[in-house]
Amino acid sequence: MPIKVAYQATIEYMQILDEQGGLDAKLARDTLTDDQVVMLYEHMSMCRRLDEIAFKLQRSGRLGTYPQNMGQEAIASVALAARPQDWMVPCYRENAALYLHGLPPEMILLHWMGDERGNQIPEGLNITPMSIPIGSHMLHAAGIGWAARIRGDDQVAFTFFGDGATSEGDFHEACNFAGVMHAPVVFICQNNQWAISTPRSKQTRSETFAQKGIAYGLKVRQVDGNDIFAIFRAAREAVADALKGQPTMIETLTYRLGDHTTADDARRYRDPAELEAARKRDPLIRTRKYLESKDLWSADQEEAMIERNKAQVDDIVARATNIEKPKTTDIFDAMFATIPPELARQRDTMQTNSLGQFPQQETLRRGATAHSPTQSPAHA
Amino acid sequence: MGHATSSDPNIFILPDLGEGVHEAELIAWKVAVGDTVEEHQTLAEMETDKALVEVPSPRAGVIASLNGREGEICKVGDVLVTYEGASNGAAPSPNARDERSESRDSSALPEAEREDAGTVVGSVSNDPIMPSQGGKALATPAVRRLARDLGVNIDSIAGTGLAGRVTEKDVRAASNGAPGAPASAPPPSPSGRGPGRGATATLAPSQPAPTYSPPPSLPAPAAGQTQRIPFRGTRRTIAARLRQSIDTAVHFTVMDEADVSALDALRKQTAAASGESVSFLPFVISAICRAVKHFPALNATVDEAAQEILRHPSVHMGIATDTEHGLNVPVIPDADALGVLEIGRHVAQLAQMARDRSIPRERLMGSTITISNVGSYAGRFATPVINIPEVAILAVGRVREGVVVRNGGLHVGKLMPLSLACDHRVVDGAEAARCLALIVELLQSPEQLLAPARR
Repeated sequence: MPIKVAYQATIEYMQILDEQGGLDAKLARDTLTDDQVVMLYEHMSMCRRLDEIAFKLQRSGRLGTYPQNMGQEAIASVALAARPQDWMVPCYRENAALYLHGLPPEMILLHWMGDERGNQIPEGLNITPMSIPIGSHMLHAAGIGWAARIRGDDQVAFTFFGDGATSEGDFHEACNFAGVMHAPVVFICQNNQWAISTPRSKQTRSETFAQKGIAYGLKVRQVDGNDIFAIFRAAREAVADALKGQPTMIETLTYRLGDHTTADDARRYRDPAELEAARKRDPLIRTRKYLESKDLWSADQEEAMIERNKAQVDDIVARATNIEKPKTTDIFDAMFATIPPELARQRDTMQTNSLGQFPQQETLRRGATAHSPTQSPAHA
Repeated sequence: MGHATSSDPNIFILPDLGEGVHEAELIAWKVAVGDTVEEHQTLAEMETDKALVEVPSPRAGVIASLNGREGEICKVGDVLVTYEGASNGAAPSPNARDERSESRDSSALPEAEREDAGTVVGSVSNDPIMPSQGGKALATPAVRRLARDLGVNIDSIAGTGLAGRVTEKDVRAASNGAPGAPASAPPPSPSGRGPGRGATATLAPSQPAPTYSPPPSLPAPAAGQTQRIPFRGTRRTIAARLRQSIDTAVHFTVMDEADVSALDALRKQTAAASGESVSFLPFVISAICRAVKHFPALNATVDEAAQEILRHPSVHMGIATDTEHGLNVPVIPDADALGVLEIGRHVAQLAQMARDRSIPRERLMGSTITISNVGSYAGRFATPVINIPEVAILAVGRVREGVVVRNGGLHVGKLMPLSLACDHRVVDGAEAARCLALIVELLQSPEQLLAPARR
C-alpha cells in the first residue's frame, strides 16, 4: 500500500505597504480609501503620543504599571474592517483598535490608574475590558461568537493576543472550540517577537504562529503587522468568512518597540541592533511616506497634527485625572441591582460581620475616602 | 505598590518607578534649581534595580529645590523635587547653580568629597565635543547610558536618528572620532591626609573616616588615567552582602592540605567508566555533605531576627561562582542525597546557566553551606567570606604536586589546600578543626564518596 499525503498546508504572507511606503496597487484595490489612510495616520500618531504620555504619567507617579503599545499602532486597521456591532475582545496592546471602535481613550488610562471605571465599557459598545492575564480572554471571544451564531446575530468577535499567549492551553481550547462550533471568531495574534523577555525563537518551534490555527480547522493568514492595508484586507476577508461559519487566525508580524511594561527594561535582554532595525519598519514612518508620495500629506499638515495631538492627549489625560474620586460606598453598588439587606447594612454602617462589628470601625466612614489607585500588574 | 503623591502640588515625591520598586539611585539631575520646566520634561535620570529610567516632571513650574546628590539612593515616598509656589513668581534666581550646590548638605560630606564639590561626579563631561544643538538631546536611555559610560556629553551631539534622535552610532562616533574627546572626570587630588612619609600604612583606630589616598610611594596617576566607575547594580549588591557578612559573622579560618593522589586516580577511573568528565569538586562536595553529618553545627544558618540557630537536616550546597556579571552562589539542593556523578552534572549545569545568566531565582537561594573553588587560577589558601546567614564556607585551592610523607617515606603526591571559614558565634574552633580533619580523611580514602551521603 503506498504512503499517501494525508494533509498538506501552506501559509500565505501578505504585505501591501512596504517599509519604504511603496504600495502593491493590485492587492490594495478596494481596500482603504485615501481619506481612511489619512485618518488612520492621524489616529496612529495620536495613539503614539498618548502612549508616550502614559509612560511619563507612570514615571511621575500618576499611573500604575503601563504596557506601551508603541510600534503596534497599525492594528487600528482592524477596527475599520469591523462593523459597529462586532465585538472586540482585547488584551492590552491594541489600544489603537479599541479607540477606533469607540472606546473613550481616557478609559484605558483609568484602567491603569487602578480605577474600575476604566473597565465600565459604555452601553452600546461591544468591547470587553482589557484582559491582563495572558490568554484567558480568547475563550470569551469563542463563547461570544458561538452565542452570536446560536442567536442568529450578525456579529463577529475579534480577539487579540500576543505570541506568548499561543503557549497557553486556553488559546488551543478557544481555537478548537471556535473551529468545531463554526463560531464567527477572528483570532488576531500580534506577534511582536517578544513575550516579556522570551524571544520568539524560544516560544515555539513552529515556523509560524499562524500554522497553529490549522490544527483546529481555522483559516490562517500571516500579514505584515505594521501594514495598515494588509491588516485591513485580511481582517475584512476574515469577517466575510466568519459570517459563513469559518473562523480565522491572523498572525500580524510586528515589533514591540518599547519595554514589556513600565516595570520592565528590555535593554537587559534585547539586542540594540534588533531594535534599531525594527524602528525602520515603524508603521507611522511607512504610512507617512506613502501619503507624501501621493501628495496627501505635507510638512504643514504634520506640524498642525502634532499640535492637535498634543491638545487632544492633554484633554484625554485631563479627563482621566480630573474624574471625581470614587466614593467608598461604590464598592457595594456594582454587584446587585437591588442590594440585599445585609450588604445595605454593611454599606450604611461600614461594619462587617467578618471583622466582628467593632464600633471603632465607624471611623472608616470618615477616613475612608483614601483611594488607592493601584492595580495588580500585567502578568509580570 | 502604591503611588503616593503629595497633596501639595509644589512637592513631588519619588514615585514607584517600576512595579514594587522601593528605591532608586540618582544618576543625574537634568534640571537645576531656578529652572523653569514643562510638564513631562525630564527632571532626573535614576536607576532602579531593574532599569535606568527618566523621571519626568508632573507639572510645569519653577524648580525650588532638588533633593539628593548624584550617586545617592533615594527612597520611594521621599521628596525629590519642590516647585516654587505660585506666589513666588516664575523668575529664576540668577544664582541658581550656586544655590543648587549649596542646597546640598555639604557639611555631611567627607572632606575629600567636599573638595570635589562642583566638579561632575561620574564620567559625564561638561565639555561640548560638538557645537551644541541647544536644548536636550533626543535619545533612548540605553544611548544615554552609553554616552555617560563613554564620557560624552549627549546634548552636544547632532543626532542622525529619527526626528534628530542621537543614536548609539552617533555616540560612538563622538567618543572615537571627535578631537579632544573628553577624558573622564579628573582624578581626586591627594588629600594629604594619608599616612605621612615613613609612617606605616596602618591607620590608627582613632582616625576618622578612612578616606582612600594613594600611598606616597606611588606617583599620582596622570590626568585621564583614572577611571571612575559608579558603584551600583550587581557590584553594589555584592558589596553590601559581603559587608553585612563581615559585620555580622565572627570569621575565623582553619587550613589544611589533603593528599588527593588516590582521589585523582579514582576520579579518572570514574570518568573513564562513566564517559563523563569528573573534576575534584563533586568529591569535595560529597565529603562536606558527609562531614557535616558528624558536625551539624556547620550546616546551619542564623536567624538574626529570632536569635536562633537553624540546623538543617539536608545539605543545600551553595557554589560560589565567578561570572563576568559578578559573583553569585547557585545552589545544588539536597546535595547530600546525590552521588558524585549526579553532583558533577549539577555543577556543570549550574556553570552553564551562570554563563548565560539563565539561573532561575530559586536556584540562587536556600543554600545551607557554601564551597568556593578559589584554586582554578592560582592561590593555595584563602580566608573566604561566609555567605550569610550560613555559618561555614570551604575554599578549595589549586591541586598541585608536592611532597607527602607516607609511612615514613617521602613521596610525590597531589595536594589539595583547604581553607574552612566559620562563624565563631556558632562554631567552636576545635569543632571546625575536627570537621576539616574529617573532610581531609574522606578525601584521602575516597571510595565511599561515590554514593550519596544521605540514603
